[in-house]
Amino acid sequence: MSKYFKIVIAVVCITSLLTACKKNDLPIDEDGLLITTRRECYVSNFELLGTDYITVRNGSAVIDTNAQTINVTVLFGTDLKNVYPQFSLATDCKLDPKIVGRVDFSDLANPKTYTVISGDRNIRKPYKVIIKF
Amino acid sequence: MRKQNYSFYFLCFLMLTIFAACQKSDYTIPSGVSGLSNDCIKRTLGPNIVSLPIEFAYAMAIPKIQGKLVSAQVEASIAGATGTYLEYRSFYTNTSGQDVPVTVGTPSVTDGKITKMSFTVDTIAATLRYFYIIPEEARGKTVSFTFSATSSDGKTVSYVMGPYTISKMDIKKNLAVSNANAQFISIADMAVYTSATGTAAKTDLVYLYRAAPTSFVHALVAPAADTVYLPGVTLLSGVKNNTKVSKVFNLQDRNLAALQYGIYVDDIDFIGVSLLDAPNYALGLKAEAGVWVETADRKYKAYIFVNSVNAAGSAVISMLRYTN
Repeated sequence: MSKYFKIVIAVVCITSLLTACKKNDLPIDEDGLLITTRRECYVSNFELLGTDYITVRNGSAVIDTNAQTINVTVLFGTDLKNVYPQFSLATDCKLDPKIVGRVDFSDLANPKTYTVISGDRNIRKPYKVIIKF
Repeated sequence: MRKQNYSFYFLCFLMLTIFAACQKSDYTIPSGVSGLSNDCIKRTLGPNIVSLPIEFAYAMAIPKIQGKLVSAQVEASIAGATGTYLEYRSFYTNTSGQDVPVTVGTPSVTDGKITKMSFTVDTIAATLRYFYIIPEEARGKTVSFTFSATSSDGKTVSYVMGPYTISKMDIKKNLAVSNANAQFISIADMAVYTSATGTAAKTDLVYLYRAAPTSFVHALVAPAADTVYLPGVTLLSGVKNNTKVSKVFNLQDRNLAALQYGIYVDDIDFIGVSLLDAPNYALGLKAEAGVWVETADRKYKAYIFVNSVNAAGSAVISMLRYTN
């Protein structure tokens, strides 16, 4: 009886060792973000906030995924030197350059460009943010 | 042999459990106050601003068998401004939820740094409120308070509170502004002027209301701003100050707004805020909005809070000013 008991214990231990959790070495990029297999790469929404964190948009931003442009009309009197842009991106995407604080959009003749990078980090799409009053 | 091993290990485990078990501690009755004693708490929160009060609650008590309370006093390290007093009434809350005063002494007398009151009824325990009106002399300095109580058996106890740092800020509440009337705001004077009473040199901001465009409404604009932000405004002749303005929302300073929010603007906030690249206008203001302001000569920074607005073209503002 004890001999069979020992055999059962040994089998259980060996099985546990073979099926134990394996550490997945998931790839991460230089920002510590996960690199996935997703290839979607687009801007789904755009917001622009003033220094009081209230929107300065006059209507919704018009996002053209084909032309890769974002057209925004802002309210009269908006101080474009101190605004906070907010991008909503496709799943797993990231933005370049990063937005770390207030941004100066006052140079209307030279719209700023932000690049969306897909989840697999292989696709890069620059979006031009065009602002009008 | 195997059965003996199991019994031995179990016995060891049992013994360890017994030795490590919780021990019941004997309850001891706490000892009561043996003589005249006191305690004190500071009731006011936020920065200590000149002209505003610092409120304390000073409690004193003596066992009945030993005597009664005779007097109480407070000595401040810097004499308080007019209006400083030590309450001579004790309060209780009635069944309707109202605080009802009971006179227990004579009105306090303030002589220099000392405010004193005397008990006129037999009292063995009382909590008195002390209101210290912060004087101009204390600006930027620290203030300490020594609370004292005396009893009929000749004993005296004291309690020291502080030191408390007094803010460099000034406060002005509930300034009425209106379109084409009381519209010229002076940060230096913390006042609002009309075209008849104001001067260009003192005008840091102009209040105006425009129904169109809808994003304009209530605005605070520097005299040096583009005229597109001053439609129909006749400025006072003279220098046009280029005051910097930056809009803020959700900063309902407790002293200015007197709302349910426990937020305070303090000296350190003025030190930290930078308005170098701020515009010289703020449009679309509404109730509970605010603006950080820096005068053209950079002598003053201010936080202006919009208490209320009226669609007819007026508003009530309150201001905190900080001297750089």
